[in-house]
Amino acid sequence: MIPWDKLHGAMTHFPIALLLFSTACDLVSVALKKRPLSRELRVVSFYSLGIAALASVGAVISGIALTKGDLWGRGDFGWHHRFVWPAFGLLMALAGWRLVVRNAMSRFGLYVYLIMMVLASGLIAAAGYFGGEILLSGGGVP
Amino acid sequence: MIPSEVKGVMVGVITSAIVLAAAFTGGTVYRSQYITSKQPASKPLSPENLAAKGRGFFFQSCAHCHGQDADGGEDAPSLLKLQISGAHIALVVQSGIKDEMPSFAKKYNEQDVSAIIAYLKTLH
Repeated sequence: MIPWDKLHGAMTHFPIALLLFSTACDLVSVALKKRPLSRELRVVSFYSLGIAALASVGAVISGIALTKGDLWGRGDFGWHHRFVWPAFGLLMALAGWRLVVRNAMSRFGLYVYLIMMVLASGLIAAAGYFGGEILLSGGGVP
Repeated sequence: MIPSEVKGVMVGVITSAIVLAAAFTGGTVYRSQYITSKQPASKPLSPENLAAKGRGFFFQSCAHCHGQDADGGEDAPSLLKLQISGAHIALVVQSGIKDEMPSFAKKYNEQDVSAIIAYLKTLH
């Protein structure tokens, strides 16, 4: 029997931490403009986003297994899912976009990307918050 | 030629749509299988039908030692007017009695044993 609860708890922290870190790196790199560190931060943010996207697949699979395929639910469990699905979709879209564009993005593209990254970070942070609430309220998994 | 940013939007949207569709399809299929596995295989039988089913099992596995009328055989006691509980009967059927009676745990599941008990309870 696979301990999905423990596996999900372990796997979810990677996409959350890496997406937030990637967003922070992008924002700092924009603030630093054309300094050498700015370019290095872009590289770090690129790989962080890629690993976050890959890790999120494992987190989603373990979550589906843990909830026996219940994709919505109620209470904290429902709120967790309301934030998880948009965050997951947006994370995958951003990773796909970044993989193609790399650093060859226009100013407009960069700003749209940053806004989307901040939005995805907010969504995944909220999903993580309600995931923690489920755990603290005694594990509301059906 | 498509600019890389537009191409990136297309790749991003397609990737997102594919993973979300896969997650929702997988989750829905898993959920339906889970719910199906949790449902009872069949409706519970009425006491009469349960006893009738148990009678069949009795003739199949018990009668040749305990007698066609369950009144006992050469090596097995009578099962008429049993004074032991259903749980006790279930335990004996499933575990057997060392050197005296074989275990029927592999042959009969819990519902089958309930049917045998229901039949034995009618033998008063």
